[in-house]
Amino acid sequence: MVVPLISIILLCPLAAFAIFGLLGLANRRFPRQDYLSTAAMLIALACSFLLLREVVPSPEAHTVDWLSLGGVTFSMGFYLDSVTVIMLIVVTLVSSLVHIFSMGYMHGDPRYPRFFAYLSLFSFSMLFLVVSDNLLGIYIGWELVGLCSYLLIGFWFEKDSAANACKKAFLTTRVGDVGMFIGMMMLFKQFKTLSLYGDGIFTRITNPEYFTADATGIVWLSIAGVLIFCGAIGKSAQMPLHTWLPDAMEGPTPVSALIHAATMVAAGVYLTARMFPILTETSSLVIAYVGGITALVAATIAIVRFDIKRVLAYSTISQLGYMMLAIGAGSYVAGLFHLTTHAFFKALLFLGSGSVIHAFHAMHAHAHDDEHDHEHADSEEHILGSEIPPDQDMRNMGGLRHKMPITFVTMLIATLSISGVPFIFSGFWSKDAILGGVLGRAMEWNSAHHYILFGMALCAAGITAFYMFRLIFMTFFGEPRNQEMHDMAHESPKSMTVPLLILAFLSLPVVNILWFNEAYVKPPPQPHLHAPQHAYIAPDGNTGGKGYAVSLFGVSEAVAAEEEGGHSTDGTHADDGHHGHGPAHTIAMVLSIIVAGLGIFLSWLFYHRRTLSAESVATTCRPLYNLFWHKYYFDEFYDGVLVTLTVWKARLFAQFDGSVVDGIVNGVGFVTRDLLAAFTGAFDNRVVDGIVNRVAQVTWAVGGRIRRIQTGAIQTYLFVVLAGIVLLILIFRAL
Amino acid sequence: MTLQHYLVISAILFTLGIFAVLTRRNAISILMGIELILNSCNLNFAAFSRFMTPSEDISGQIIAIFGIVLAAAEAAVFLAIILAIYREFGSIRPDEVDTLKG
Repeated sequence: MVVPLISIILLCPLAAFAIFGLLGLANRRFPRQDYLSTAAMLIALACSFLLLREVVPSPEAHTVDWLSLGGVTFSMGFYLDSVTVIMLIVVTLVSSLVHIFSMGYMHGDPRYPRFFAYLSLFSFSMLFLVVSDNLLGIYIGWELVGLCSYLLIGFWFEKDSAANACKKAFLTTRVGDVGMFIGMMMLFKQFKTLSLYGDGIFTRITNPEYFTADATGIVWLSIAGVLIFCGAIGKSAQMPLHTWLPDAMEGPTPVSALIHAATMVAAGVYLTARMFPILTETSSLVIAYVGGITALVAATIAIVRFDIKRVLAYSTISQLGYMMLAIGAGSYVAGLFHLTTHAFFKALLFLGSGSVIHAFHAMHAHAHDDEHDHEHADSEEHILGSEIPPDQDMRNMGGLRHKMPITFVTMLIATLSISGVPFIFSGFWSKDAILGGVLGRAMEWNSAHHYILFGMALCAAGITAFYMFRLIFMTFFGEPRNQEMHDMAHESPKSMTVPLLILAFLSLPVVNILWFNEAYVKPPPQPHLHAPQHAYIAPDGNTGGKGYAVSLFGVSEAVAAEEEGGHSTDGTHADDGHHGHGPAHTIAMVLSIIVAGLGIFLSWLFYHRRTLSAESVATTCRPLYNLFWHKYYFDEFYDGVLVTLTVWKARLFAQFDGSVVDGIVNGVGFVTRDLLAAFTGAFDNRVVDGIVNRVAQVTWAVGGRIRRIQTGAIQTYLFVVLAGIVLLILIFRAL
Repeated sequence: MTLQHYLVISAILFTLGIFAVLTRRNAISILMGIELILNSCNLNFAAFSRFMTPSEDISGQIIAIFGIVLAAAEAAVFLAIILAIYREFGSIRPDEVDTLKG
């Protein structure tokens, strides 16, 4: 059953895209592309749920040889374990809802069918990436989703800002992909295969024939792991390659929800999780630090944004950093768990913001048409984020909760979820699992690094609660700031509100059931990850993981127990699942509730009660505010250093081209034309022509003499003939 | 009358014909010389047929008659050519018609 199901899941979106390619282009406005694509996604969704039942007891794999080059055979295939299936469900579910939402949001767009075709292509690519069992297949899907992201960010390519943003996204992620490719080649060189499962990298990594875990081997394995993680840095918008993601918000909002919040950007996390078995202590730490720094820095930037979509974009970066941190800290399950919950509540936040923008947009198109065009023309400023479209500017919003009740309630649920409000929201559980996991690792290894990382994550959690409630207060509470816009705002149509309601339901801990069952998700062993020498190691290698299938409220401890259990069972190092982690998770949970409460309270003081003034704080901490406002000067740095350097380098090369290369070419031309050609020309004129002319002259002179015998007198001819005959007769007589 | 008499006469006719063809300045005279040459040939055919072959074999005489007919046809063509030359050049002197001179 698995093979047909997976085929249907993959082929449905691909077929929807292919039909657009065949019919849509021939018949420019293929009218029902939206229904076609949506139906394809819904079928894929249904099949994904069927797969859940098929696969969960034991992973399924199916591989075929794809291509043989020399002595190497590359295979293509899929590997389905519980994580894969959960990813399939997340992707198809969010994608289906976004399809439905887009029917309302994109209605009337001149390239409406094409939008759905791109969405289908994206869904196919993402699903292909998720199910591939080898790095080559993952890389193909990886680049395909990059392409779709490029096409969809630049969907309104008439706007310079969108065209620039899609180029920026494509090029920035490419930087990471180069690292990823080098990492792949290193693994290929070492392990002679790109397959991960079966007789693949994960098996061969413990096989002395392929890999010896001495100091050198571990160093190289760490480097390969970090290089592959570079791909994830680009795709998941981690520091320092995060700058493309906020600009990617130039794309249509459903695209932001699907690709740049819920699924594609999570592909980096997914890849890192897939490569979990090859991570060493060093590469894990690098991943954890990149994730931790990203989580904190992006959160601080988000505080001062006014563009509703950019707040969410930085929030996404921050949350992706959380997931990376979790995986780097060994909390495999927590990272993927947060990926799942985040996919739903962040998609909900984006679709909600899309609903708000949609409410403003119709009016805005009438009222400020000219200004709108003008401001998009000034693209460079826009990229730097100093110019905000009025329909996305939170300073124009306020008091919308009465106008858009459904949007308000659903977005509030998502915000409570992302802020980590305890117990009845999914985000709390996943975030707490991460915090607990990191603190647990810190206590278990007695590692200063992990305590620092825990601190970063905790700060980021507080800041997240703060800026998310800032968004809610500025948008939905208070008095309308722009009465004209407020009057024309309206609740969105059903095709948009229904997906919001479904996603709001999914932001409750229902999604947790996927992660509750002990049999569902087991972290793979990490044979080359060893605790540092000074780490506290319990005498008994407790197998742990017992308490996993527990009640709703116990889930965070259970997650930690489970992942520690995974470590213990692989047998390479013993650690203590239960003793170190009960307290870790309790502490983490209490602290996270405190910081979340603090963040929300401060936000309430600043933006609702207004007992504290954000402006005065901004004036007091001017340098800090500037740092946040300018996004830590990353864009300025790239523009000022990298772009300038590239342009300068290009000028240098142009000069080199103009003087040296052209000089050589011109020199060769001079030698050829003025020297060689002169010589051969002279030879031609003197010798060859001389011979030809001499022959002609001789012929002419001889002809001049000989023609005299043609007298024209017939009797002379006759006489000669007669004389000849007589002569012949005499000769013959003489013989 | 023996064969030698005929051959002598024939030789005389041939020589006279050649002489006329090479020396006359008038195309008509040249034609007449050619006729003499042809007739000397015919005489040779007839004479050799009479004296050198059995009397019932008269193929030599027959060829002589063919030769006469041929001469008549040739004369007609020749005269036509002379007429055309006269029309073109206004003369029938062969030394004046030397357009092909090299």
